[in-house]
Amino acid sequence: MEKSTSIRNYRDILIKFQSLLALVILCFVLAMMTDIFFTSSNMLNVMRQISVNICISVGMTLVILTGGIDLSVGSILALSGALTAGFLKFGLELPFFDTFIGFTIFGAVLIGILSGTALGTFNGLAITVFRVPPFVATLAMLTIARGFTMLYTKGFPISGLGQNYAFIGTGWLLGIPVPVWIALTVVAIAFFVTNKTRLGRYIYAIGGNESAAQLSGINIRKIKTIVYAIAGGLAALGGIIVTSRLDSAQPNAGASYELDAIAAVVIGGTSLSGGKGTIGGTVLGAIIIGVLNNGLVLLNVSPFWQQVIKGFVILLAIIIDKSNTRK
Amino acid sequence: MISNVKNFGLFLIFISTFILFHACKQKPRQRDTKKIAVVISTLNNPWFMVLAESAVKEAESLGHEAKIFDSQNSTALEADHFENAIVSGYDAILFNPTDSDGSISNIQQAKIAGIPVFCMDREVNAKGVATSQILSDSYSGCVAIGKHFVKSLDKKGRYVEIIGMVGDNNTWNRSSGFHSVVDNYPDLIMVAQQSGEFDRNKSMEVMESILQAQPDIDAVFCGNDPMAMGAYQALVAAGLEDKVKVFGFDGASEVITSIQDGKIQATGMQFPELMAKTAAAFADQYFRGEREFPEKTPVSVELVTEENVRFYIEN
Repeated sequence: MEKSTSIRNYRDILIKFQSLLALVILCFVLAMMTDIFFTSSNMLNVMRQISVNICISVGMTLVILTGGIDLSVGSILALSGALTAGFLKFGLELPFFDTFIGFTIFGAVLIGILSGTALGTFNGLAITVFRVPPFVATLAMLTIARGFTMLYTKGFPISGLGQNYAFIGTGWLLGIPVPVWIALTVVAIAFFVTNKTRLGRYIYAIGGNESAAQLSGINIRKIKTIVYAIAGGLAALGGIIVTSRLDSAQPNAGASYELDAIAAVVIGGTSLSGGKGTIGGTVLGAIIIGVLNNGLVLLNVSPFWQQVIKGFVILLAIIIDKSNTRK
Repeated sequence: MISNVKNFGLFLIFISTFILFHACKQKPRQRDTKKIAVVISTLNNPWFMVLAESAVKEAESLGHEAKIFDSQNSTALEADHFENAIVSGYDAILFNPTDSDGSISNIQQAKIAGIPVFCMDREVNAKGVATSQILSDSYSGCVAIGKHFVKSLDKKGRYVEIIGMVGDNNTWNRSSGFHSVVDNYPDLIMVAQQSGEFDRNKSMEVMESILQAQPDIDAVFCGNDPMAMGAYQALVAAGLEDKVKVFGFDGASEVITSIQDGKIQATGMQFPELMAKTAAAFADQYFRGEREFPEKTPVSVELVTEENVRFYIEN
């Protein structure tokens, strides 16, 4: 009797920290194979590279916790990045009033975030008011936002945004890259929201059992719309970082980023059916993907094999997750 | 009874479609303005936008109607575009194929329907299917870059190659053209070969990681210009931009400016406008009764370096 509970405790701990364990094993293997991996400059390099995916994945986690999905984040990232770059570089012309408005970096960034939030809100309203399934509604937004990006940029990148704007993506603060600070802030806020606020509890409640949540008086429409708006806003933030790092808004930026984000969330142990999962898990998932991407390049693995290996890692994560929930 | 009526109705619709379709095909059109479909592999890249828009512009200036179809890099979507173009009575297709082998059957469809197809930029591996192919010679272009690469590195050094999408034949045309020259010099050592997926951001991230493992390199060769810009940015972030020479391919305006500023070493200039114009002109000649076209018209790629960059600056 005594023994079986201790085994169960042991298993529980293993399940709880499975992503962490996977990460430790992965890092250990990579460190054995190449001595560059564990250098501080490479670690900072990995952190900087995953910061965009972390921003998107945090939003994706909230959406998936409610039992939804958001496929439009990559396109929203592209559109918000393009709008930010465009407003910064060209400003806004109002032909009716014969005036021209120039934008500061702060103003342009605000436009970018607001546009992403607005598109996310649109997703939320389509899902809650018009009852379009999240998969379909955000798939439609994926195309719509990409189309608007093409319209706005006419298919050409907007480049040459200036040294000050480049600080967001390439600058350093206290020895740590600025994008990492941004990602850390996002994670800290999301951690607080999911653990300490009413909004966080409602998100889990909706994902766990939507009708029970409704019966207990939660305004499901409102909460879901807020969640999709946040996901859109965070995708926009990612777009601003990408644009700043490249000193250029690329019309095809962010293509298939939604898949990386979903992979991070899933590897992090969040259930695709909602209600179960943590921000911390997602961060681990994003780090695992980032470490894997980095390690495969460090080892100069053939690009053909890289895709196969990444696919298997995701599959493995899901299999472990499933075998735990079945028990 | 009801189902009989229903069936009869369906039968009528079926038959009338056939009648309409045949009527459409057999009746020669009496107008001079022809409809031209411009089917482009992707519009997610400025280079292809230039190709598509130049084709439309040239077709319109020759007095025809033109419409762009975006295949979004999918051969299946391309097949749909061809079917639509055939059914809706287009007179010619200016075509930038998604795939050298996969696109052949689409061209075959058009040929059976009697619609001429003029390929632009990417070659299809079949003879006598397309009416004519106007091709950018990526291979020889990269041979030229390879020669310049060898010269500027003085035949020795460690370099990185960033290739495009691994499933794209342009990727391998460019890579093998480059290696056909560079591999003859045993002191030129390739320390890493990774895919940047033709994408600026992906190329930058890959380059950042490569620089962790191989900080001591002399040059980078990239399979297109957006990737060259991405690699350059990674070098700037690592403070290595003065030491490492960057080579691209495409002739994107941003890279031309960078060559002028001494940031990037060289690129291969392709001429999308020229290819598109030639294709549109061929289509126009076809409408006027011309049937003899060269199977392939190569449009050469020009090497752009610091010495001749002033000729390529856009005004």
